[in-house]
Amino acid sequence: MDVYSWIISNKEIVKIFYALIIVIVCTIIVFRTDKLFKLSLHNGIRYFRNAFFFYGIAFIFRYFIGSGFIVDLFYPEYYFAINILFEFFLIMAGFFLLYSLMWRRFENEKGSFSSLFNVKILVFYLMAITLVLFDFFWATSCFMFLSQIILFFGASIMSYINYKKGGSQRKFSKFHFVAMILVLFGWVLNFLAALYFNWNPAVLINVYIFNMIFFLIFLYGVARITRG
Amino acid sequence: MTRKRERLDVIRDILRSIQENRKIKPTRLLYASNLSPQMFKEYVDELLNKKFVKIDIDPKGKKTFSLTTKGYEFLEEYKVIENFIENFGL
Repeated sequence: MDVYSWIISNKEIVKIFYALIIVIVCTIIVFRTDKLFKLSLHNGIRYFRNAFFFYGIAFIFRYFIGSGFIVDLFYPEYYFAINILFEFFLIMAGFFLLYSLMWRRFENEKGSFSSLFNVKILVFYLMAITLVLFDFFWATSCFMFLSQIILFFGASIMSYINYKKGGSQRKFSKFHFVAMILVLFGWVLNFLAALYFNWNPAVLINVYIFNMIFFLIFLYGVARITRG
Repeated sequence: MTRKRERLDVIRDILRSIQENRKIKPTRLLYASNLSPQMFKEYVDELLNKKFVKIDIDPKGKKTFSLTTKGYEFLEEYKVIENFIENFGL
């Protein structure tokens, strides 16, 4: 039995393990960056922290609350709600990550009182809700996929500019760029899997691998820079 | 051309001036910070609110600024914060 077949035949356990690693990674990143934010009150760090907070919540909803243990057994009729929440938090996390790279263009350094409830973020909430509703009514995930592909295409360009600008001073910035490209590939592959490959499990495994590497690269960066 | 000092750089400069002098009078700190009086007041108010600095009043009633533990902690972590912001493009 090859690795792919083994993963496919044990996919429920593998998914839980996959989500568990991502939730742990997000928790570590949120705590580390929250400490830096409280000290510096820097808005970029604040939005970056929010991004991983939302990623963590999204994965908790989809893979723990939405897994066979709770929803499937006791409330199968509410599975759609879990999917809606998962999509909403995932899209918002992407928006926060992108906004952490470009907030300086829209806010002054003092920023807003709240990073979760302000006019700029309200626009993201509205966009996320719209995308989630489109996906719900058309019974697809393509709106989320397309939004994330566009979003991470922009984020990859910004990350590349930052890498080129920093030279050898910013050693992690090239890994940041690699992480952005990987997650972009992940979303493209996910989109193709939904549209052309009928959710082929072998294709999805590659998506999970891309996602996992993305989170691990960020964990590496955060741990290395914060000396952990 | 030198780049404009960012908020964090200004805070670091103010805290370093206080650290170097241990206790510093407001007027001397204003000169050292290289800020306009209005901007200086905004930054000092922020640092007092964040409890990075404290005001000491001597028996003659003169005010001086000194660093708190949180202020020292910020100076130690400043390099980490700067590194983080630059590497993640924030």
